[in-house]
Amino acid sequence: MTVYALQKLIRDVNRKPAAREAYFEAPAKFAAGYNLTEHEREALLKFDIEGLYAMGVHGLLLRPFTILHKMAEPDYLKAIRGE
Amino acid sequence: MPITFACATSHAPGITAWADAAPAEQKDRIYGAFGRLRDQLDASGTDTLIVLTSEHWANFFLDHIGAFCVGRAEKYCGPIEPWLQIDKTEVQGDTDFATELLEACYDGGIEPSFAYELEFDHGTMVPLHFLMPKMDRPIVPIFFNTLAVPQPSARRCLELGGVIGQVAARSKRRIGIVATGGLSHDPGEKNHGVIDSNFDRQFMSAMAAGNAERLGKYTRSELAGAGAGAFELLSWVALAGALNGKKGEVVAYEAVKPWATGVGLMAFPHAAAA
Repeated sequence: MTVYALQKLIRDVNRKPAAREAYFEAPAKFAAGYNLTEHEREALLKFDIEGLYAMGVHGLLLRPFTILHKMAEPDYLKAIRGE
Repeated sequence: MPITFACATSHAPGITAWADAAPAEQKDRIYGAFGRLRDQLDASGTDTLIVLTSEHWANFFLDHIGAFCVGRAEKYCGPIEPWLQIDKTEVQGDTDFATELLEACYDGGIEPSFAYELEFDHGTMVPLHFLMPKMDRPIVPIFFNTLAVPQPSARRCLELGGVIGQVAARSKRRIGIVATGGLSHDPGEKNHGVIDSNFDRQFMSAMAAGNAERLGKYTRSELAGAGAGAFELLSWVALAGALNGKKGEVVAYEAVKPWATGVGLMAFPHAAAA
């Protein structure tokens, strides 16, 4: 259930200001603090929203995370729909 | 004492955050309906308001998920969203009544979790903003797990509501209940923007009829078919359990595309009938 760690990372970025700052300052370093698979780590660091969604990241975690990245809603929907 | 007030409302963040994105006539009907419910609450003499609401990853994560969580705090704060167009404010809790409610639940065979610290997001603050803008009576929030599989069954929500109704009936306080969430919407998911008005109207029809038998039979797949956000309607089902068959009426229903939600508001003017 390693998607748990991935979702935990995203939730921390969404909800904890210090975590958010650390993530945006050094994403790879921040991600190293979580027990991610290589596949998850790669999708996260490439901001592969289609991949993250397909892995099972909850929409109400993923959409706020993409808002922090200033991703517009139509682009987000296209990504999770694989369009 | 009978329940003094009951209503059910949607809580889509667009209702306040991007209110004017909606067609003016839809917004006006929804705001007008909130006003009617507020007038009913004001006239009811309610001492404490139970708010049956939804968790949106604001308080809980997958490290520990319970089906229901009763707030026992002396005060709460919200909203957590700075963009909601609702000023951050404090809301008083009712610790004693929350404890009374929890004890009755445990004695009755239902064991909600409880928390002395909870934050409110749009799911609680949107209805409170309209129904109780002065935040001038204490509340007891009950958060429902509507996100993580498995969500509680509709049947269990009816049972929880039944206990809430019994506690309210024997309390010295005058208890009102707000259920909030839904209707059809799929936030953050592939069908975001899809509104299933047929589902919404059928659900509200069952609520209006006090048809607990039908409401208790809503399956997870039926709710999921109306979007991930339709699980929030489990709080409405719990309200129906508390009202024990009492009928209600739809005050407003609008499929609001810019808010990506079927927005409904219902009143239960006979809630106070013994």
